Amino acid sequence: MDAGLLAQFVANGLMLGMMYALVAVGFTLFFGVLDVIKFSHGDVLTVGAFTGYSTYLGLKLLGVANPWLQVAAVVIVACAAMALLGALIAKYIVMPLKGAPALNVLLITLMLGTVLRESVRLFYPDGANPKRFPRLLPTDAVALGSFNLRLDSVLLFLGGLAVIVAIHVLINRTKLGLAIRAVAQDEETAKTMGINFTLVVLVTFAIGSAAAAFAGVMNGLYYNEINFGMGLWLGVIGFSAAIVGGLGNIYGAILGGFLFAALQTVGAVALPFASAYKDVFAFAAVIAIMAWRPTGLIAERTSERV
Amino acid sequence: MTSLEIENVYAAYDKADVLEGVTLTVAPGRITCLLGSNGSGKTTLIRAILGLTPPRAGTIRFGGATLSGLPTHKVIAAGIACIPEGRKVFTKLTVEENLRLGAYQEASAAAVAERLGRAYEIFPQLAERRAQLAGTMSGGEQAMVSIGRGLMSAPKLLLIDEPSLGLSPRLVKENFSIIRRINEQGITVFLVEQNVHQTLAIAHYGYVLSQGRVVASGSAEALARDAAVQRAYFG
Repeated sequence: MDAGLLAQFVANGLMLGMMYALVAVGFTLFFGVLDVIKFSHGDVLTVGAFTGYSTYLGLKLLGVANPWLQVAAVVIVACAAMALLGALIAKYIVMPLKGAPALNVLLITLMLGTVLRESVRLFYPDGANPKRFPRLLPTDAVALGSFNLRLDSVLLFLGGLAVIVAIHVLINRTKLGLAIRAVAQDEETAKTMGINFTLVVLVTFAIGSAAAAFAGVMNGLYYNEINFGMGLWLGVIGFSAAIVGGLGNIYGAILGGFLFAALQTVGAVALPFASAYKDVFAFAAVIAIMAWRPTGLIAERTSERV
Repeated sequence: MTSLEIENVYAAYDKADVLEGVTLTVAPGRITCLLGSNGSGKTTLIRAILGLTPPRAGTIRFGGATLSGLPTHKVIAAGIACIPEGRKVFTKLTVEENLRLGAYQEASAAAVAERLGRAYEIFPQLAERRAQLAGTMSGGEQAMVSIGRGLMSAPKLLLIDEPSLGLSPRLVKENFSIIRRINEQGITVFLVEQNVHQTLAIAHYGYVLSQGRVVASGSAEALARDAAVQRAYFG
């Protein structure tokens, strides 16, 4: 295989890894503060991507043609709307189930995910068919041998990186982050410090859901296509990434996201018949890793969360 | 100065630790203690005051405002802090992060910095280890973190739940003298303990809880002589 094609695979793997990491961080944050697995997370991503797409259509109707303005509006509206949706899901569906067996929460959020996904399919105009997501970012390319490095890919990657860095700073350097970490470690003691537990949970769900919306828009801008099932697949991969990295640890989630993308890339490059078996290979490798380290790569030490 | 008034409170945390109509008053500026053996309802009473286990019946008032029914963070906002049983430091946070959490509701960074300084004055060992994870410290040091954290909100009322639990006799003695000093600075203390003699030595007034009811009360000196105290523990 020539170097240019290999570079193409690596660039694509990095982009996928960033999307997986953004989704996985949400799973890990939710598990951190509330000990729940929220299976509707991937479908929130779908709704976020469709919200972004609708924002673009609305701007076009209004005659806003500046692509930078369009990108900014698409990202902001999608993230803000999903932050709100995430907080509402936490308040009206997940929090009332507090104290119920974890399996019930898992089952109910699985149902909720189906409701969201089918709602997009049935109620979004022509929602059953894939939508052509516009290219809003400049597609200028730098030719590096036979590999074309496109500016839009670089910008998308940097955008994802900025979101991850922002979440890292929020968790580790702010008072809100300290409260999130305290709640993740010991909910009752955190309450007796004067932390408004419900508010911290809602904000955490808002942050995780906004990150998923960002991943959804990123996916749309990168592949120029969105469909109602996109989040289901990204959700399954993001969940696997969070588990492989060590559920409850955000660095584990990021590591898991990139690791999964790396496995897919290796699968696509190294296996015969190219990409057909890349997911089989990646998930088989995940199973092997879980057998080797059942608590994930960065194991949750005793009671550490987030 | 504000007093904590607990009136005819019924609550249940688990089956063994039930309150059946507890009435007591924690007078401002003093150390009031609550003695009782395991399962007498002490932990449930602390949880009821903090809003962690809302009472089934009865009222809890602090300085005229009703606390019962409020979520925990609003109880804390009324000027109450807690040094919980078993210290409950955040083991994966640093000493300084633990202390800062104690002042979570304090908006002024200057006030937080000043109180941090004061906590480090009381416990110089903590200043040296401010960046260390609390979980890597000894039991005695964790007790310092827990006490320092309880003071960080500059509370009017400090609830202290079993400070002697799991500590060596020397550390227990140190802790009790610190509690006395805290009180001398004007903080009202409600001390819940099993350790009768050392508790009555520093308390002004006391109540004895047995099977969810107050079975004796009086000045610390009177309680020290009272046979009911002995009965509550051994009979």
